[in-house]
Amino acid sequence: MKGLVIKDIMCLKKQLTTFAFVIAGVVIVSVMYVLSTRFGNLAKVGVALLDENNNMSEIDVKNLGSMALVLFMFLPIVSVGDMINVFMADGKAGFVKVSASFPVPLKNRLLARFITIFSLLGIGALADILLAGMLCMLTDIMSFGEFFGVIISVSSLMCIYSALVILFCIMLGYGKEQYAQCFSLLSMVAAFIIVRFKDLKSVFIRIFIEEHGFDSDTFWQPLDFFKEKGYVFFFIAVFVMILSYMISLNIAERKRGVI
Amino acid sequence: MDGINNVIELDNVTKDYGDFKLDGITFSVPEGSVCGFIGQNGAGKTTTIKLILDMIGKDSGEIRVFGESVCKNNAGIRENIGVVFDEMGFHEFMTGRDISIMMKNIYKNWDEKAFFDYLKRFSLPSRKKCGAFSRGMRMKLQIAVALSHNAKLLIMDEPTSGLDPVVRNEMINIFREFVVEEDHTILLSSHITGDLEKLADEVVFIDGGRIILAGNKDELLEKHGILKCKKDDFGKISRSLIISEDYNEYGVQALVNDRYSANQLYPETIIEPAPLEDIMIGYVNAGKG
Repeated sequence: MKGLVIKDIMCLKKQLTTFAFVIAGVVIVSVMYVLSTRFGNLAKVGVALLDENNNMSEIDVKNLGSMALVLFMFLPIVSVGDMINVFMADGKAGFVKVSASFPVPLKNRLLARFITIFSLLGIGALADILLAGMLCMLTDIMSFGEFFGVIISVSSLMCIYSALVILFCIMLGYGKEQYAQCFSLLSMVAAFIIVRFKDLKSVFIRIFIEEHGFDSDTFWQPLDFFKEKGYVFFFIAVFVMILSYMISLNIAERKRGVI
Repeated sequence: MDGINNVIELDNVTKDYGDFKLDGITFSVPEGSVCGFIGQNGAGKTTTIKLILDMIGKDSGEIRVFGESVCKNNAGIRENIGVVFDEMGFHEFMTGRDISIMMKNIYKNWDEKAFFDYLKRFSLPSRKKCGAFSRGMRMKLQIAVALSHNAKLLIMDEPTSGLDPVVRNEMINIFREFVVEEDHTILLSSHITGDLEKLADEVVFIDGGRIILAGNKDELLEKHGILKCKKDDFGKISRSLIISEDYNEYGVQALVNDRYSANQLYPETIIEPAPLEDIMIGYVNAGKG
């Protein structure tokens, strides 16, 4: 199994180079951003937003600042999503035939794929945690706990996405990786709509039917959830990963030749 | 066959794809032999090999390799099997070194030194990406991998197809070296009967998903013959001897299943030894009716 993980990492050599550049870029841009929010033009913009009569509170300005930072920090983790290319590479080379002749049971071949993708997600998350440690020394936009919550939330969401992509790749077979990515995103959006249907409906009615407009509480709620309730995403991610592995294994055992 | 261990045993194996069916496949490969698995394209050779390697699941029947039943929980059997496919399968960016790094973490008995010795012997550069290799080089790379983990059984699916005669001959010599060891066995599928005639001890003919003939190659070549006679004389020949016949403007050519009996019964006819290719064509034509 270790050999297959090594092979997957070899496959991702190009993406790993990109990944390293993304991490380096995010570190530089985030530090510049934080310095600007404290001493530079962004600090002046923040002050101006508070001065102007546009109903913005200090919390709104702070959240606006942290939102931009959170988006930067998504990048190292989200860039792992592209690493699903390893499936395409195997399909193109016809490696499945070769790996099926190895003395590695099917369950371990599948596990190797999960290990590769989730280790890379782990590296992305670790890079973000180090960055968060550095940033919270420079700024008071977010505390380390809030940063950590966001990182756990985003990493968990990417874990869910990757687990679904692996499942759909195995379900649909080689050459359909783009469909697998689309179906994974659609499944996540659908699950979100089903779970939060009542809340979404009430927000929709308040904004578009009763024309109350968009209040800042509604807008910042998801950000607060990301900061404070990362463990919810984490447990969902663990559940989805186990489920994805079990279903993928079942499909792979019946269909064969897909992993 | 008492006292002979069979390395591969297939007993009434069936696999139904709807439009193609492997039907009641039964044959065995004795230890220390080279078994040629012959059939035209689409006859079911690759499907049978995939079943032996548990790459696809069988519908019914029993497959045993080294005496152990092939099933999903028995991947360890493949530690002793070297496999060569008709296409390389390794990623094109991989070099010989990359492959060795991967393989030593897959096979317990991976012999790095043997692998690099094979690369040197086959004139394969270990630092060059295998995507840049010619077809012959790619096949040699696969063989180097298959021979570098102390495998006792080599399973090869059309390893010589599309190769020039010189490279084919070189590969046949490598296979001969492999079977010098008494416990080494080869199952080699091919539709190039000339290669199998040089190498095989046993042959198994497959056509339309059914085994139509299996046995010792020399015995099969000894038994079968091509009978040539005039059209008028052909009617006198017993049908039980004839497998298939081919009419042409000069007379009739027929594949017979017992050339010595035919010779004794019909001394006026010409009966020549039949090469494997003619035997294969004869049986395939007989199947078509």
